[in-house]
Amino acid sequence: MTDLGPDSPAPRRAVLPRSSPKLVTGLALIAAIALFGVAGPLFVGEPGAINDIGLAPPGGGHLLGTTQLGQDVLAQIAYATRGSLYIGVLVGVMATVLSALFGIVGSYVGGAVDEAFSLFSNVMLVIPGLPLVIVISAFVPPEQRGAWTIAVVLAVTGWAGAARVLRAQTLTLRNREYVLAARVAGEPAWRIIVVEMLPNLLPLLASQFVFSVIAAILSEAGLSFLGLGASNSSTLGTMLYYAQNGFALQRGAWWWFVPPGLIIALFGCGLALVNFSIDEIIDPKLRTVPRRIRQRRRAPAPVERPAPDTAVSVRNLSVTYGNAVPAVKDVSLEVRRGEILGLAGESGSGKTTLAYAINRLHRPPAQVTAGSVTFHDRDGGDVDVLALPPGELRAFRWSQLSVVFQGAMNSLNPVMTIRAQLEDVLATHRPHLSRSDRRARCARSLELVGVDPARLRSYPHELSGGMRQRVMIAMAMLLDPQVMIMDEPTSALDVVVQRGILREILRLRDELGFAIVLITHDLPLLLEVSDRIAVMLGGEIVECAATEEILAGPRHAYTRRLLESFPSLTGERGAFVRSGEATGGAR
Amino acid sequence: MRYYLRKFGFYLAALWAAVTLNFFIPRMMPGDPVSILMAKLQQRGGSVNPEARRAYELLLGTDTGEPLARQYLSYLGNMLHGDFGISVSAYPVPVSEVIATSLPWTVVLVGIATVLSVLVGTGLGMLVGWRRGTWLDALVPATTVLAAVPYFWLALVLVAVLGSALGWFPLIGGYDVDFTPGWNLDFLGSAVHHGVLPALTIVISSVGGWLLGMRNMMVSTLSEDYVLTATAKGLPNRRVMIWYAARNAALPSIAGFAISLGFVVAGSIVTEQVFSYPGIGSKLLEAVQNNDYALMQGIFLVTTVAVLGANLVVDLLYSVIDPRTRAGANA
Repeated sequence: MTDLGPDSPAPRRAVLPRSSPKLVTGLALIAAIALFGVAGPLFVGEPGAINDIGLAPPGGGHLLGTTQLGQDVLAQIAYATRGSLYIGVLVGVMATVLSALFGIVGSYVGGAVDEAFSLFSNVMLVIPGLPLVIVISAFVPPEQRGAWTIAVVLAVTGWAGAARVLRAQTLTLRNREYVLAARVAGEPAWRIIVVEMLPNLLPLLASQFVFSVIAAILSEAGLSFLGLGASNSSTLGTMLYYAQNGFALQRGAWWWFVPPGLIIALFGCGLALVNFSIDEIIDPKLRTVPRRIRQRRRAPAPVERPAPDTAVSVRNLSVTYGNAVPAVKDVSLEVRRGEILGLAGESGSGKTTLAYAINRLHRPPAQVTAGSVTFHDRDGGDVDVLALPPGELRAFRWSQLSVVFQGAMNSLNPVMTIRAQLEDVLATHRPHLSRSDRRARCARSLELVGVDPARLRSYPHELSGGMRQRVMIAMAMLLDPQVMIMDEPTSALDVVVQRGILREILRLRDELGFAIVLITHDLPLLLEVSDRIAVMLGGEIVECAATEEILAGPRHAYTRRLLESFPSLTGERGAFVRSGEATGGAR
Repeated sequence: MRYYLRKFGFYLAALWAAVTLNFFIPRMMPGDPVSILMAKLQQRGGSVNPEARRAYELLLGTDTGEPLARQYLSYLGNMLHGDFGISVSAYPVPVSEVIATSLPWTVVLVGIATVLSVLVGTGLGMLVGWRRGTWLDALVPATTVLAAVPYFWLALVLVAVLGSALGWFPLIGGYDVDFTPGWNLDFLGSAVHHGVLPALTIVISSVGGWLLGMRNMMVSTLSEDYVLTATAKGLPNRRVMIWYAARNAALPSIAGFAISLGFVVAGSIVTEQVFSYPGIGSKLLEAVQNNDYALMQGIFLVTTVAVLGANLVVDLLYSVIDPRTRAGANA
């Protein structure tokens, strides 16, 4: 879920849909058709009036031509639209009430009621609706088959899908803090549901309502077309039924047949477009973002190797989200071979954005607006990372610079085995390796981080959080990279596991000699393990110095504040992790 | 294992619910369907033998004074044997035989059309979600129009354009009556030729739902950490798109298959009617028009069993695709 890391601005949850071309078009379509259905019949003539000019094409006295019996098509459509809308809204309301009853109430009450309601909804869901509707309608004699009967039957057979969606959402809502608080405060259940939960369920209810209106209008049209619709009512479906039985299309009378279908399609399209906007409230990720942003020319070119032991140079790098304020401002930084460089700062200070930009993992709307990133290979040769073409960028990633992401819980693909996820790194970057060599290397890498190679066959959900993070570290070392970026590698784990993993990382760094950029908000931890520390504030590096210097005399006021906020920093630095002795109070 | 047991248990419960519904609907409705049926049967010159009458009574219910529970048990027995009585509209053929000849047509047509629609819709949805922000986004609103078009309306327009006007495809029927049905090339070729337009109707009308669902899930999945990891690993784009993003994004679509299948079945009944297709949908309507209640009930049950079966297969497939269900974590 860490789209752009914690440093990205959090999307605000809106209550009303944002205005967008889709929403405006959708609302316009719905309003126009609804207006036509409501007011249209007042302005057109009698739809049943028979005339002696049958099947007249559009024009003259009949804007949309006439039917076989000479009835005015426009007048018929106006009345039929009214009929279809009536049934659609009726079913929409009834189905939404039913689904709310079974979905929300059931899952709120929980226990056996929820089990029973959920089973009932699921059974209703898998039993095919239309055959059931047809059977029921067929048993009701035509004279008793009014619009209400049809609407009730459609609602009874059509609420189950919505109930399931609502149930899932209610289940997550009922464990939110404010709902739990209200329960503890002893508010009655109906009040909690209506006051606390319903506002949060509204977008979902609205979208399900819209969906059932579309489904009802379509189903009613289908039923009427089969001659099973409401008797004595005029809907777009009955109109199509008469048009078909009058061989409208065969006689070329498209004006009789095409418009009713188009109205259904346009109305459904309008509702679906409104639903898009509602979906975007429910899931803000769905808002379209421009994918490609024209790359602005970066001023500084790649830099010469400043010192023989430099692994990465970042020069004057700026990263912006869209056209807003930069998240990273004019940052210059060097990573030396084999060192641990700590990157400290609070959430939103731009440290994750900076780390991602170094590997070009930032996603739109984030873009690099200035600066350069140069990778200095240990075998000589400098790589201008920001200018690499896609193929070379892919080859560069992981083999020279690998990343361990924050939230190790989600970094592994839940539907692939550990082996497959380790092996595809080798298959991509070392295609010449034989299958057995690949397997051997994967097993060895797990042993290196203290995970039983038998775990290769496991899926991520079968591993503990600490083990998953160890697997990620094994994966990051698989290609013997020169630099490893670790973004909060241990913050989701408990302290003991955390320390164990850090100790492992330090040991491996000593053995294999890669440099580590360690990002964390946990300053005491950085003071223990890193060689140098860079402190970020508001997208800028305010201080970058050796750890001893920072500890002895921080120059920037912010660094001082950071240090002062950890009063228990008394023991010798690094004692715990480096020697393994428990000094206590380290965190 | 628990997952499978739960699934089987659920579908048994659903089947029982459908069978029971089928028992009670005619009994709750006004009118006396048995007498209507018997009268119809006599019109057709059918002799009213007691056995046929008994089958009808059990299926549709009439006031014989027999306790409801006894009727229900005997009804269950008849259903188990597939004994739905005699079809009036196809007198004197038994209902089970009418269903047996028409079911394969529908299963093949709807089956192929659904598979095609799932593949095309999910594939396109994957691409649209992956290349978000490009011109492909325009596909999304376009498909909503298609999804909102009534099946039968689209079918008739297709017939008018591709059938009547251009003459590319036959207008009605399931095969050319010149050929005898069987495993010969002439017949199969003509069946495929006749099936194109109905299948096209179903695919066009249902593809949008798959596309939209997949696209939305793809967009959500792309912001997952494991996709970012895959990108950072330097894997080829295709591998990231298919194995990391699409594999996970497709799961909710598959889990929601039941809803989609319901719409397809509904749509194909109406579509069959338009094409006079020799499938189960046309038979259902024929039954309705002739008050052939026995055939109607039989078709409803068989359709339900087929739909339940399809859903069961998809659920079993789901457990193969998502390892978490097998552990019982998500069942």
